[in-house]
Amino acid sequence: MSPTNIRSDHQQKNPSNRSGNSSAKTSRSKVGVIRFPGTNCDRDVFEALEMVGLNPEWLWHLDRFEAKKYAALILPGGFSFGDYLRAGALASRSPVMDSVREAAQYGMPILGICNGFQILCESHLLPGALVKNASLRFQDQWVNLRLVNSHRSFGATLQPGASLALPIAHGEGRFYTPLDELKRLWDAQQIWFTYSENPNGSLQDIAGVMNKEKNVVALMPHPERAMQAWMGSEDGRIIFETLLG
Amino acid sequence: MAINQNDSELERKLKHYRMSSLEYKKACELVGHPLQGIEWSLFSALWSEHCSYKSSKVHLRKFYNKNARVLEAEGENAGVVDLGGGERVVFKMESHNHPSFIEPYQGAATGVGGILRDIFTMGARPIALADYLCFGDPKAPRMESLVDGVVRGIGGYGNCVGVPTVTGQTHFHSSYNNNILVNAMAVGLLRPGEKVALSKAKGPGYWVVYVGAKTGKDGVHGASMASESFDADSEKKKPNVQIGDPYFEKLLIESCLEVIQKDLVVSIQDMGAAGLTSSSFEMASKGQVGMELHLDKVPLRDSSITPEEILLSESQERMLMVVEPHQFKAVEAVFAHWGLDAAVIGTVLEERKVRLIWKSEVLVELDPDLLVEQAPRYERPFVPWKWKNQLSPKLEKNNLSALKYRWGTPDQASRHFITRQYDQRVGLKTVQDCEFPVALMRLPDSERGLGMAVGCRPEVMRLDAKLGAFDSIAYPALQMAAQGIETIAITDCLNFGNPEKIEIMSEFVASVEAISEMAQALDAPVVSGNVSFYNETLGQNITSTPATGLVGLRPTISNLKSSTFLTPMAWAGSKSPLSQDRSSESQEFIEDVYLISLPMIQHSDLWEDASPVWSGEWDTSRVVEFIRNTRTLALRSEVGGLRVVGSQGIMTSLMRMSLDGMGFLGEDLSRWETQPGLFYQLIVTGHRLSTVIKESYSSSLQVEVLKLGVTQKEFFTVGQRSIAVSELKLTFEKAWGKHFENLA
Repeated sequence: MSPTNIRSDHQQKNPSNRSGNSSAKTSRSKVGVIRFPGTNCDRDVFEALEMVGLNPEWLWHLDRFEAKKYAALILPGGFSFGDYLRAGALASRSPVMDSVREAAQYGMPILGICNGFQILCESHLLPGALVKNASLRFQDQWVNLRLVNSHRSFGATLQPGASLALPIAHGEGRFYTPLDELKRLWDAQQIWFTYSENPNGSLQDIAGVMNKEKNVVALMPHPERAMQAWMGSEDGRIIFETLLG
Repeated sequence: MAINQNDSELERKLKHYRMSSLEYKKACELVGHPLQGIEWSLFSALWSEHCSYKSSKVHLRKFYNKNARVLEAEGENAGVVDLGGGERVVFKMESHNHPSFIEPYQGAATGVGGILRDIFTMGARPIALADYLCFGDPKAPRMESLVDGVVRGIGGYGNCVGVPTVTGQTHFHSSYNNNILVNAMAVGLLRPGEKVALSKAKGPGYWVVYVGAKTGKDGVHGASMASESFDADSEKKKPNVQIGDPYFEKLLIESCLEVIQKDLVVSIQDMGAAGLTSSSFEMASKGQVGMELHLDKVPLRDSSITPEEILLSESQERMLMVVEPHQFKAVEAVFAHWGLDAAVIGTVLEERKVRLIWKSEVLVELDPDLLVEQAPRYERPFVPWKWKNQLSPKLEKNNLSALKYRWGTPDQASRHFITRQYDQRVGLKTVQDCEFPVALMRLPDSERGLGMAVGCRPEVMRLDAKLGAFDSIAYPALQMAAQGIETIAITDCLNFGNPEKIEIMSEFVASVEAISEMAQALDAPVVSGNVSFYNETLGQNITSTPATGLVGLRPTISNLKSSTFLTPMAWAGSKSPLSQDRSSESQEFIEDVYLISLPMIQHSDLWEDASPVWSGEWDTSRVVEFIRNTRTLALRSEVGGLRVVGSQGIMTSLMRMSLDGMGFLGEDLSRWETQPGLFYQLIVTGHRLSTVIKESYSSSLQVEVLKLGVTQKEFFTVGQRSIAVSELKLTFEKAWGKHFENLA
């Protein structure tokens, strides 16, 4: 499954060498990246956002912030608070999440990746829960995803049926929700992505979901790890790029 | 000097503190009186094999360890090597064998935690981990649970701290049934302008600051435990094993890097083996200063802990720093941001004394050099190396058994069960992960590639220890070269049995000599390392296993070479389904397959032959030239892929190259099934490469080049025999579960 043998000579210059064009960065492109103690994909997401020309800014778990300052918010992956109690459970009670809830109400696009997904579920900003993989082990592998319903901000240009190759890396990524709720999610077009081949036992292959209002969205795979051909895939770029509008 | 202690009482103490009577005598002479109170614990810990390297130091000094690239080597927590352009790599390899056998999850996890601290204590952000694991026979008692626990432990720690595990090796052999090996290498990167932090204490009057987790009773006497052979009672040693918390380590990484890069600390060292004792005495000794420490100010997890236990606790995730008093507030603020406490527990003294104080009572006052510099050094008996199992040239024709190709054995089974439990991509630098023979990381500033590999083939060590030690550098260096990577520096983890046995010590000395000779010939100094002796249980020693870790440079990360036969899609340049339509419909992707051989060492089947033998002459300079020429070839744009042939021969390697879905079509290769093995051989793919190969290798090497066949879709065909590639893959993937029924 791993994208081995990449022969592409296509090398994009890493735009994270913060040279010039900061004047082009407006608040429209400003993205808040939320860090908790134990978040470990924060720097990767920051770098990925810079690669596509967005303007990331750190938000710490103790911060409260004014939502209007940002075009979007991202909760990166990792092990916030060491996954103690349950993955995402402690982070969901952090002060910063009060501001995230306000931003969600206000309609701001909010993306959770991996542990960020778990935190958004624990915060009841997204439906369902993420439980231990069916294998009962951590799993790192490449997966193919299929887009079910387009999201208006993240990967907005992707059409239903589109396919993306992204890596997963999680121990608790099996999406779970009561069956009647599950049916409601499909009916209300809240399913974002499914796995082409289910890696972790997620109900109905679900890899990503949205809230009812369609502004809060999350997925288990890591788009920030698929930004350049040398990473194995560039399919993750589009998730962030479409924030540029 | 009169040592007037009751004999049996003394004997009891020597046994308890694991010291010999000679060592005791020496210690008494140094301090000027019979050891008393806490002095026993201090000498026991710091003079243990684990802390003092007393059996190995005289030999380790012989290592080739310096060239213009080396910025720090012996004496620091890890080696620092200049990559040019301001980029520097900091790396080291370490063992955690004994704790992992007693408690596999925590043993392996804390092994990873410890080696990571050696890296970030120098100011470098850890960017990658590698593991080198040796387990016993899959059917040996506890083996399945040991494999399970160790792999979970490495993953559990590395994944959580956010450092990817990008390469590794796993071996199986009955000599490890009662003493598994768990070695881990950590690699850190200092970017242009970032500061290196050192461990030598300085500045009388400066404060000694303790940061990180609170001290508990875990791991007390861990260092001396690791310096002993196992017996039937090893189960009782469980309380000596430390418990790790990767979440705490993650906070410690971020906060320590921040205070170092803000230039707020004078010196810093992690509390590893023998805890606070070794860090304080070593920092003072290296800096030629003294230290006053108030043990009652150490943050404690357990109020019933004694001062002796505070000194020896190996509680994890703790650091000791020297800070200028006026900087302390700033240091405290950084740690507070990350939710950690920083406690002032003492001061640096001009006088070269370490004074330990407990509730205003001086427990002990000692010159740190007595415990560090003056530790015993042993010239354990050994004999100069004579080749083992080497045939005279006359005998070789009849006595070298043919290699059997193997498929589905524990060594030819997929490692996905292991590697998929490791996060291989966090940090956005991984170009080649565990799927490849060697790892490649992207250096973010120069956009060059940083290659990493681990080495040592235990089956070659069993054939001849010196040959195996040469090979423990040569083989991974050749694998790196096949990816266009030049090996520039080396770390090692020398796992051996009981050094008091002459045959073990002889293998150790021969290994050090061979590694040093290879390092010098490659101009890749040995900049850090670790020795693990007493890998012996009930009198049975493990296979001597000098594991190595290599780092190297590749000029770019483009034009990478495949280690499998290129599939049409890979040929077209991407596996992304979004760009699948780019894949070529023509037959261009069919490549020629060549074999390149260095005629030097022939060997019989190392796997099934009860007493394998070899013939030929080892020639370091020829091997190094072969490695360099291979790198030249690997950087040629005409070459599609390269793979180094393993000890199981060509057929097995061709089958491994078919695992991505592209097969092979060759004439009858039965010739290769009736011949002995050869060090070293390569399989190379591309179009009409004869001239390119000839141009790459110097004629004096007399390499033999042979076209074996071509790649083809779907089938692996040799003469009349053919098998679907999908079936090869299935057998390879399923073999793991056959050997480890509960770990599928």
